[in-house]
Amino acid sequence: MKRLPFVFVTLVFSGCNSAPKPEKAKVPVSTTAPKVEYFHVDAATAGAVHGRVSFAGKKPVRKKIDVSEDPMCAKMHAAGLYDESVVVNPNGTLANVFVYVKQGLEGKTFEPSKEPVVIDQKGCRFAPRVFGIQTGQPLNVVNSDPVTHNIHPLAQVNRAWNQSQDPQTEPLKRRFLQREVMIRVKCNIHSWMRAWIGAVEHPYFAVSAQPDGSFELPNLPPGDYTIEAWHEVYGVQEQKITVKPSGKEDVSFTFKGE
Amino acid sequence: MEPTPRTSSQPAAWAPLFVIVLSAVSCSSPKEAAKAPPPAGPVGTPIEIPVPLGLPPVAAPANNKPTVETVALGKKLYYDTKLSADDTVSCASCHGPAHGFTDGSPVSTGVGGKQGGRSAPTVLNAAYSPVQFWDGRAASLEEQAGGPIANPIEMNLPHEAAVRKLNADGEYPKLFEKAFGPGPATIEKVQMAIASFERTVISGNSPFDRYQFGGDKKALSPAAARGLAIFKDAAKGNCVKCHTIDDKYALFSDGKFHNLGVGMNAEGELADLGRYTQTKVEADKGAFRTPTLRNIAQTAPYMHDGSAKTLRRVVDFYVGGGNSNPQLDKDIKKLELSGREREDLVAFLESLTGEIPKEVLSQ
Ligand code: HEC
Ligand code: HEC
Repeated sequence: MKRLPFVFVTLVFSGCNSAPKPEKAKVPVSTTAPKVEYFHVDAATAGAVHGRVSFAGKKPVRKKIDVSEDPMCAKMHAAGLYDESVVVNPNGTLANVFVYVKQGLEGKTFEPSKEPVVIDQKGCRFAPRVFGIQTGQPLNVVNSDPVTHNIHPLAQVNRAWNQSQDPQTEPLKRRFLQREVMIRVKCNIHSWMRAWIGAVEHPYFAVSAQPDGSFELPNLPPGDYTIEAWHEVYGVQEQKITVKPSGKEDVSFTFKGE
Repeated sequence: MEPTPRTSSQPAAWAPLFVIVLSAVSCSSPKEAAKAPPPAGPVGTPIEIPVPLGLPPVAAPANNKPTVETVALGKKLYYDTKLSADDTVSCASCHGPAHGFTDGSPVSTGVGGKQGGRSAPTVLNAAYSPVQFWDGRAASLEEQAGGPIANPIEMNLPHEAAVRKLNADGEYPKLFEKAFGPGPATIEKVQMAIASFERTVISGNSPFDRYQFGGDKKALSPAAARGLAIFKDAAKGNCVKCHTIDDKYALFSDGKFHNLGVGMNAEGELADLGRYTQTKVEADKGAFRTPTLRNIAQTAPYMHDGSAKTLRRVVDFYVGGGNSNPQLDKDIKKLELSGREREDLVAFLESLTGEIPKEVLSQ
């Protein structure tokens, strides 16, 4: 009976991803964990990967969202709220693409950043919509809206949870402990709200920017890597690359619309 | 008042309760029992508590059937700040008619401005609860009434001191004699009198009752009537699963304990373990007794920690499926309700404001 809520979550929301992965045992953020040696990047040889995500094809027409579930949200968007699953920049690049080192860092353990990543519930949207976080790094969930939200990360590798948050309440503080690219996030109260979180066990991730589609993965130790780019509508692409000592490598991706 | 006194006004279901009540009253103060024999019970004129539309008969323990005199004494005690250490706080300070017999605050403030961790529930219809308090730690209204008087963060007046104060008072001794026969005031008599008064603090005959039990299909607005349907529909609100509506009456509480995930802190841990503090049963962690919903529009803020400011926020909380945690009740899950359906539910909850007998209000 205790397991029921999680089973429910898995059954209902496994729809768009691959088959649900077996539930991992809960990993406590305990102090009794064996002492780990963190990897330190040698500044003298560190390189970087940077690039840009281009968009080819027809720019999709953004759909208007039905916000009638909540009159307060409707009031905040008198001119209408539009779907943001595809954001094409004026210069033809694609924003909100999650780019990260998929392979090549095996065997290295990176200390989780202590700086919290903040996700805000603002204007009845999640902001940012797409972001990365290091496993173990604090996630602060803020509600800047005058309405109640109920954030629900539909994690399949990590533990799924949902929590209601009234206006003007303190931030929720959570963490993800396992790599999961990506965790789909919903609001249980406002069906249109979406965010995507990429949780990886190292700090080499970025999101292609608004307004120029650029990204950068700095301070990367020299080596051979697989870089993956993920977009919520257009799927994933990957490229292999070698980062030479102090090298600045250029990697660009192009996603095609319909 | 009903003209014919009933010989058996209690449904059989209440019978086990009396056993508990009796033992609770006699065990609660063995010291007192050694000094003086326990009160034989009320001596005045028995009354049948009039029951408004939508409520079942009010049950009372066999040794404390309400009388004109005990109810009157209980009422005086309930509104009297003399029952507190510094004459500043009465039961009504935290359970006052101005806020539907609550205090209108997230958590209550007792003598010297001290605050507790839980929100004051309404005393309205507490007479129908099988157990008292959010965690059910008192078995009866009699047992419950002793708690706040001595509680340091509520009225902070030890029972011996309270009784001494009453016996030295100009008015109380003769009122106690009228209610319980010769002899001084005792804490048991105080508790019995307050409990008898509380059994008259009931609310029914609301627009909902007139619609549901009185055949008046105009009593509810169209929005409230749609809200009632959602409230009952297992595939929509499913609220009746816990906030019960029976064939002939509606208590809006199953008297049981459920975990909704209310009171989760920022880290996602339960701040108050609720029923678990009484039972030490793992599944009871974070479970609280289903509260009545009568006069709910008057008793904001809501939930055991007063965390929900408005009924809309309560409805949103349920729409969101509460807060996930290992003990979350199996009947709490995300609801698929449109914006209008959410508003209809609020309209329905607002139709539950009933008639409170004017005799129970302070003069
Ligand atoms: C300082 C505020 C305060 C005062 C004074 C106070 N109460 Fe309460 N009362 C509370 C709170 C808070 C609770 C809930 C506590 C809990 O459940 O742990 C409560 C619970 C109750 C309940 C249980 C209701 C239910 O549904 O579970 C009853 C009945 C009650 N009080 C009656 C009284 C009476 C009678 C007095 C006077 C003798 C009184 N209270 C004085 C704050 C107060
Ligand atoms: C699984 C049982 C259960 C179901 C189903 C349920 N409730 Fe509740 N309700 C409770 C419990 C238990 C509480 C108190 C929770 C707490 O404070 O921790 C509560 C509290 C409330 C309150 C606040 C009462 C107060 O005095 O603070 C309201 C209003 C309410 N429920 C309305 C509803 C509505 C509307 C629905 C249907 C959408 C519903 N409930 C479904 C058990 C339930």
